[in-house]
Amino acid sequence: MFTTGSKLLFGASALSLVTALVYAWSTEGALSSAGTLGLLSLFVIFAFLGGVNYANRDCNVSSMDEAAVDTAAAAQRPGASSVWPAVVALGIAGLVVGAVSKPAVFKVAVVVLLAGLVEWMVLGWSERAGGDAAFNADTRRRMLHPLEFPVLGALALGAIVYAFSRLMLRLDKDQGRIAFGVVAALVLAGAFLFAGKRKPSKRAVLGISTVAAIALLGAGVASALQGQRSIDEHPTTRTDTEVCLQVGADEEIDADATQSVSATSNLVANIYLKADGSLVAHVSGYPDEARAQLTVPRRAQVNLLFHNESDEAQRLTARTGEGEDESLVCTAAVEEGDQAFLSFQAVRGGVLLVPGLVGGEIELLVP
Amino acid sequence: MLVKPSRRAAAALAGLGLLLVGCAKDAPQDTFRPAGENARDIDGLQRPLFYVAGVVGLIVFAFIGYAMWKFRDRGQEIPEQSHGNPKLEIVLTVLPAVILAAFAVPAVSQVFALDKSDNECVINVTGQQWWWEYDYEKGSTCGGVEIPESIVTAGELVIPADTPVLLRITSRDVIHSFWIPRLNGKRDAVPGRLHTLRMHADEPGIYVGQCTEFCGLSHARMRQAAVALDTADFQAWVDNQLAPYQAPAEGTLAAEGESEYAAQCSRCHQVNGLTDDSGNPVLAEPDQSVLAGAAPNLTNLMTRTAFAGWTFDLISDECRDRLWNEPSETFGDVYLQGVWMYTPADATTPACFNELNLREWLRNPPAMKPMYTDPDKLEATDGLTRGMPNLNLTDEQIEVLVAYLLERK
Ligand code: HEC
Ligand SMILES: [Cu+2]
Repeated sequence: MFTTGSKLLFGASALSLVTALVYAWSTEGALSSAGTLGLLSLFVIFAFLGGVNYANRDCNVSSMDEAAVDTAAAAQRPGASSVWPAVVALGIAGLVVGAVSKPAVFKVAVVVLLAGLVEWMVLGWSERAGGDAAFNADTRRRMLHPLEFPVLGALALGAIVYAFSRLMLRLDKDQGRIAFGVVAALVLAGAFLFAGKRKPSKRAVLGISTVAAIALLGAGVASALQGQRSIDEHPTTRTDTEVCLQVGADEEIDADATQSVSATSNLVANIYLKADGSLVAHVSGYPDEARAQLTVPRRAQVNLLFHNESDEAQRLTARTGEGEDESLVCTAAVEEGDQAFLSFQAVRGGVLLVPGLVGGEIELLVP
Repeated sequence: MLVKPSRRAAAALAGLGLLLVGCAKDAPQDTFRPAGENARDIDGLQRPLFYVAGVVGLIVFAFIGYAMWKFRDRGQEIPEQSHGNPKLEIVLTVLPAVILAAFAVPAVSQVFALDKSDNECVINVTGQQWWWEYDYEKGSTCGGVEIPESIVTAGELVIPADTPVLLRITSRDVIHSFWIPRLNGKRDAVPGRLHTLRMHADEPGIYVGQCTEFCGLSHARMRQAAVALDTADFQAWVDNQLAPYQAPAEGTLAAEGESEYAAQCSRCHQVNGLTDDSGNPVLAEPDQSVLAGAAPNLTNLMTRTAFAGWTFDLISDECRDRLWNEPSETFGDVYLQGVWMYTPADATTPACFNELNLREWLRNPPAMKPMYTDPDKLEATDGLTRGMPNLNLTDEQIEVLVAYLLERK
């Protein structure tokens, strides 16, 4: 009967005719309108092409064989029912819902739709790739597994990482210790179980893994819903006047300040409060020189490292500008022998000082 | 099938043509023409490495070519297939490893040698979208010349010749990279970090460079130059930079320009020494208008040869060609005259001033150099611009401003 190619073209031709009629009817009968004429031309063109295809049987030698119409690969019944049309339908529904609700839904729907379409197309093609259903299934697998496995793997990994991260952001220090102690113990117990003489059945392994995965995901989602724990801050840089001009440590404010510094390279300068009470700057470009003056570019981030080599807790304060424009930034009180970072921007010049230290100031020039 | 000789010749010719494209004659940013100690050290390292790599490359290509020719398809049987040849593989692994290890010694030690800390001049270099600012520290000495007050300039880095100079490089906004190819390698300018780069120019002259870290819209128009002067000329340059402010004579166009400048420009730009009616210094507050918090200091604009990220000439093409080809003995003398270079003593207007460029800039800066200044599109930066906005100046305003700026020399 009809060859595959001509079926498509005749179908298109019929569709053109129907749309031409619907169009003509819906635009109130103007048969001569450009749209109707265009669609009618399509009807004629597709019918003609279909006729040509039919007459020479798709130019396909094997299709000259009348019997092949039923036995050719393309004539095979598709295999088992497929889930992909449903996924595509879900994708389309998602597009509609997303279009009227949240853009995020729309984006996910686009991904679902594309994935469904690709899977469906490859499936449809592979089911007619040959005459043998097993061969066809294998073809599909070879085409899509290299794609499916990495994507599914990444999704699974992403879910695990996400669940873990939410969980750890939710638990505070002590809860974290307990929770992960228990988890570690469980993993250890599992390892003993699997390594033991009597191998557990495959189903048991599968069951345990599933329960563990669900537990992890559940815990993750639950913690995400509850939100993060409140995270204590240990400010090292302050801008309040009283603190920045206060001599020595403040019981309350400085109690929690971090006393260690990790970023020590590429500083504008190292500032030392010496044991003899002098304050000096070691500036890159002036090696082995203790300077009492520092030039920094206006409104650029300046990072200093304050070393307290005196024998009591002290802070470093940068005072720039005058009068109304005066601004103060300081480190928390730094224990003797420790260091702190001071990060600020200056618009006008000023001084670096240690509150309570008389005479020892470093001139801060802002050209 | 063999390619016909004529086609082969055409292919060879095309290849040769491509090769010759590399031979630019007038290339001021040529790393292969080092003009200072650091750049020469780098060049002295890369040349032998390149020769050895070239020889290795030739040998490899010769082998490949030989194999392609010898075993080309002539319809013969497929030869016996073998897998693996431990001896050959070990040799081919060890040999390159030995060569690379041998290279590593001079290469790594050169990296550390370039970081030597002897220097006789320290200059702060600050990048921002899309120009460089230089400041010389008050109280420092630079090649034996005292810097009694801070000096701030833009675009053109003036250094003493034959003196180790240390640049302290940072940035006010995004990452930039400072590079004067004939003087040294490049160094990133990173906000919040301070990177140092040594500069050394053997002889007085002008050495051109370019920001080499993509930094946004006008990255291509973020250029810079280093100008080396001998000690006497450098001293003269410093003196001139710190010379007291010369107010324009009353009743002149420039005097009108001064008040125009105070009204329109001084909120961003600094002209040192300018005072308001009650005698207080006029201090720029670029952080109120510009995202980076800085705009070029215009105190001595006319001593520079290019502006706005050293992209547009402030002197005419002719004068630039003459200046760049000036022998090192006379270079400094000419350079110090700024836009007045090559001007006869009795002339009243500068021969080299590229007035057209400056006018075009003042008429509509973002049209000349793409910048983020459209007032309708500045929500993301709270109304702060990146670059200089169009101030919609009239012809008269531009006239008087140019007259005023022409005296900033
Ligand atoms: C909103 C701030 C602002 C105002 C107001 C402003 N400028 Fe600018 N100007 C800049 C910035 C920023 C640059 C640097 C642009 C670049 O190179 O990317 C600049 C560059 C320049 C330059 C080039 C300087 C150099 O050496 O590279 C000149 C000249 C100049 N401005 C003149 C003026 C004049 C004259 C006025 C007043 C009519 C004015 N500017 C007003 C921000 C401003
Ligand atoms: Cu840049």
